[in-house]
Amino acid sequence: MSEVKISAEPRTEFGKGGARRTRRAGKVPAVLYGHGEAPRHIALPAREFAAAIRHGGKNQIFNIEITGGGTALALPKAIQRDPIKDTYEHVDLLVVRRGEKVTVEIPVHLTGEAARDTLVMVENTTLAILADATKLPEFVEVSIEGLEAGSHVTAGDVQLPAGSELAADPAVVVAVVTGAPTAEALEGETGEAAEAAEAEATPEPADA
Amino acid sequence: MLIPRKPPKGFRKPHHPDRHGPAKGGTRVVFGEFGIQALEPAYITNRQIEAARIAMTRHIKRGGKVWITIFPDRSITKKPAETRMGSGKGSPEWWVANIKPGRILFEMSFPNEQIAREAMRRAIHKLPLKCRIVTREGADV
Repeated sequence: MSEVKISAEPRTEFGKGGARRTRRAGKVPAVLYGHGEAPRHIALPAREFAAAIRHGGKNQIFNIEITGGGTALALPKAIQRDPIKDTYEHVDLLVVRRGEKVTVEIPVHLTGEAARDTLVMVENTTLAILADATKLPEFVEVSIEGLEAGSHVTAGDVQLPAGSELAADPAVVVAVVTGAPTAEALEGETGEAAEAAEAEATPEPADA
Repeated sequence: MLIPRKPPKGFRKPHHPDRHGPAKGGTRVVFGEFGIQALEPAYITNRQIEAARIAMTRHIKRGGKVWITIFPDRSITKKPAETRMGSGKGSPEWWVANIKPGRILFEMSFPNEQIAREAMRRAIHKLPLKCRIVTREGADV
């Protein structure tokens, strides 16, 4: 994954009022910390940041040029989003060094098709891996080609890109292949449960 | 239909649930690849949840999975018709889920995106609020 150069301004006002003013000005409030340095409060340009995350994913590495304060190489540690507006509210950025190994969560992409009349359930949509901060893979591919019902793929079975190590438990289940539920099974999914619950529910006493 | 096993003691006839503000949690798709997200506040009854679920499952037929991520855990009371005011609160009539904007209502896993979207569009028609279809962050769709 290539680095994205982004300019940032130091923030001087804090709290919800200051943060809202920053967002209204088309910027995303952020904090930069790590390696024992004092945290630095910065504001990132919202459009550029959103575009970088959209193309590079949540593990996009940033080369941040802070106005009047040098540069820093950083990785998003936590991103807060507005669920309705799909805008970024705040970003935690972790300072990293070139060649440093970091643990990140990488999305899992399934490839191929399982056997007929099966349902593939993704139990873990991400996998924790240990890799060079500047050479993080965008995703890991897991092949489910021809898998029969009853089989599963664990983290240990996943072929990781060169230079990456698995940080999660190898026994963690990534995907499970089960028999596809029939139309009748889908139809009566909550019907039976509701009947049982209604039978158990205490009768409501009539109010005067 | 979904219904609480037993209403909690002292909460059989609660006041109307608060309808202000955005959802605090359950705003991301976590089980499936697609989800239906609420865009406005509403009370969704257990009948509406069931109708939406049936609309979805009948369209996908088989080969997919549907998750209901809300539960109708609040009772709404109603006084009988043609009764004078007073004489205490009415009796519980419906069970509703108190939905706030941003909340994911249903999730779905299905190999064909077009069919999954059509199934969710049909489910949205059964619900009493504006909704949109969202995909899981980082999903390969």
